[in-house]
Amino acid sequence: MIKLKMFDESRISKSMLSLTGILFALYIITGLLDSYNFSIPAIGNIFYLGAALGLLAAGQTICMLTGGIDLSLAMIATGAAFIVSVKSSSGLLVALSLALLYCIVIGAINGLAVGLLGMNPLIMTLGMNAVLIGVFTVGVTTFLQGSSTVPEVLVTLSTASIIDTSGWVFESATADPRSWPFVASIVDTLSWPFFIWLLVSLIVLFILARTGLGRLIYAIGDNAQSARLAGVKVWKVQVTTYVMCAILGGIGGIILGGQSGAVALSLANSFLLPSVAAVVIGGTSIMGGIGGYKGTMMGTLILTLLSSLLTTINSSEAVKQMIYGAIVLALAWTYAKISENS
Amino acid sequence: MNLIQLKRQSWNLAIIVLALVLGAWRISQLPQFGAYEARTFVLGILPIALLSMGQALIIIGGGINLAIGAEAVLINCLSAKYMLDTSFSKSLMLAVVFIIVGVLIGALTGWIISVSGIADIVVTLATSFLLVGVAMYVMPQPGGGINQTLADLISGKVPNFIPPLICLILPILLIWIPLYRSKLGISMYAIGSNKDAAFLSGVNVNLTRIKLYAFGGLFAALSGLALTGITLSSSPFANISNTATLNSVAGAVLGGVALSGGVGGLIGPALAALILYFIPTILLAYGIDPAYSQIITGALTIVVVLLGGLLRKRTAGKK
Repeated sequence: MIKLKMFDESRISKSMLSLTGILFALYIITGLLDSYNFSIPAIGNIFYLGAALGLLAAGQTICMLTGGIDLSLAMIATGAAFIVSVKSSSGLLVALSLALLYCIVIGAINGLAVGLLGMNPLIMTLGMNAVLIGVFTVGVTTFLQGSSTVPEVLVTLSTASIIDTSGWVFESATADPRSWPFVASIVDTLSWPFFIWLLVSLIVLFILARTGLGRLIYAIGDNAQSARLAGVKVWKVQVTTYVMCAILGGIGGIILGGQSGAVALSLANSFLLPSVAAVVIGGTSIMGGIGGYKGTMMGTLILTLLSSLLTTINSSEAVKQMIYGAIVLALAWTYAKISENS
Repeated sequence: MNLIQLKRQSWNLAIIVLALVLGAWRISQLPQFGAYEARTFVLGILPIALLSMGQALIIIGGGINLAIGAEAVLINCLSAKYMLDTSFSKSLMLAVVFIIVGVLIGALTGWIISVSGIADIVVTLATSFLLVGVAMYVMPQPGGGINQTLADLISGKVPNFIPPLICLILPILLIWIPLYRSKLGISMYAIGSNKDAAFLSGVNVNLTRIKLYAFGGLFAALSGLALTGITLSSSPFANISNTATLNSVAGAVLGGVALSGGVGGLIGPALAALILYFIPTILLAYGIDPAYSQIITGALTIVVVLLGGLLRKRTAGKK
C-alpha cells in the first residue's frame, strides 16, 4: 500500500526547526533578563501557563485546518468555566456534563451554520461571540446566578502537581526527598494542566495523523469541492470539527478558571488572538489543508514565553499589547517568508 | 428606473423600509419628536455608519479589517488628548493631521498584507492589538476633550441636527461617489470578485488593496474624530474597539456587501447603521437589559448573512 503523504515533509521540518530556534532565542533572552527563568520550576511554569492556551489553540488548529476559524472560542471557554463553577452546587458530574453539553450545542450550531447553511465562518463565530457575551451577561443575574468560585477538585486539577507529596512520611527531614532541590523541581514541573495538555495533544495529534476523520479534515481544508465530489459528507466533518473545537476550548476554559480561582466574563477574552496567533505562527494556513498541531504547540510555547518575557520586563498593559501585537505580526511574517522560500 | 436597476437597488430599498419602520417605532416611543430627537438619532449612527462604510470598502475589495475599530479608538484617543483646550484653527489642523495618520495606518496595514502574503484576518487581528496598545499608551485613562467650536461643527449645537447629518452625507458625496466612478472603483470590484482575473486583466492588485485599506483608514479616522466630537472625551478600551469592529462588519453585511467580495456599495452600510442603532434603543426603551441588544445584534448579523447568502445562491442558480 502506498503511504499517503499529507504534505511536503521537508518543508514542515524546516519550519519546525526555525520555530525551535525562535523558541530557544526567546528562552535565552528571558533567562538573561532574569536568571530564575533558567531554573527547572520556571520551565515547568511555562508549561503550566501554556496549557490553557495550548488547548484553545488545539481547537483553533482543527477548525483552521478545515479552512474555518472559531472566533467564539474565547466565549465558549469562558462559558464552560462559568457553567462548571455556578452549577457545581448540584454536583461536580452534573456541572461537567452541563458544560460539555453547552460546548457540544454551541459547536454544533457553529458547525451546522457553516457546513449546512454555507455561512462564512468568520461572521458566524463573530456573531456567535456577541450572542454568547449577551447570554452570559444576562445569565449572571438570572439563570446562572450563584457562586463563581471554581470547585476545589478542578482547582487542584488546574494548579497542583501530579505527584501528590503531602502523604509522604519520612523519619527525618534530611531523608525527605521533597527537600532535595532536584525532586522538588520535578514535582513542581509536572503540573496537572501540563499533563492534561500533553494527553489531549497526543489525542489530537493521533486524530489528525492516523484516523479517517483527520484525513477528511485535511481533505476538506485543501479543497472542499473535490472532497464533496469524492463522496465526503463535508458538513458532517465540519460539524464534528466545530464540536471538537468547542470541547477543547471548554477544557481550556475550565483550566483557566481553575488557575484564576474565580470565573469572570472576561476570563478567556485575552486568549482569542493568541489562540489564532499560535496556530498561524505554528504554520497552519488560515485557508486550511496545510499544517498541524505540532507547530501550534511550538507557537503556544513561543507566545507563553513571550508574555512571561513581557511580564519580566515589567511593562505596562499598553506597552505589553503593542509589543505582543507587533511580535505576533513579525513571527507570522517570518514564517510566511520561510515557507515561501523553501 | 428600469427593472434591472430596481433589482440592483432592492437590497437598499429593503433596508430603507426596515429603517423607516424601526424609526417610526422608535418615534412612537418618544413623547415628542423634534430637532432634538433627530439630532440624537444622527449622533447615534454617525460613528458606526462611518466605520461600516470603511469596512464595506475593504470587504468589497475582497479583504476584511478586524482592526478598524481599533483605528477609530486610536484616533479618538489621539484627538481627545491633543485637542483639549486648543484654539479652533489648531484643532482643525490637528484633525487634518489625524486623518492623515488614519490614512497612513490603513495604507501600512494594506501594504503589510500585500507584501507579507499573510491573510487579512491574521494581520488585522495582530494590528488591532497593536493599535489598542498605542491608544492605551496615548490615553491611559478615559478623558481629554476637544475645541468646542469644532465639536459643534461635528455634532451641532444642541437642537441643531444639520451638522452631523452633513458629516454623514459629505463623505458619501465627496469620497464614495468619485471613488465609485474612478478607475480605482472598477479595480476594487474587480479584485474583490476575482483577484487572479483582475491581475491578468492588468489591475495592480497590491496597489488597489493598499489604496482601499487607506480609504478604510480614512473612514476609521473620521469615525474616531466623530466620536471625540460627540462624546467630548476618549475611551481607550479593547472591548469598545471589538464591539465597533463587529458592528462595522454587521453594518457592511446588513448594507448588502457580500463577504465574498465584489458586491455592494457604501450607501447601504450607512443606512444599515440606522438599523443597528434603532434595535438596541427600541429595546432599551422597553426596559430590557442592554445585554439583550448584544444578543440581537449578533443574531441579526448571523441571520442577515445567512439570508443574504441564500438569496444570492438562488439568484445565481436562476441564471
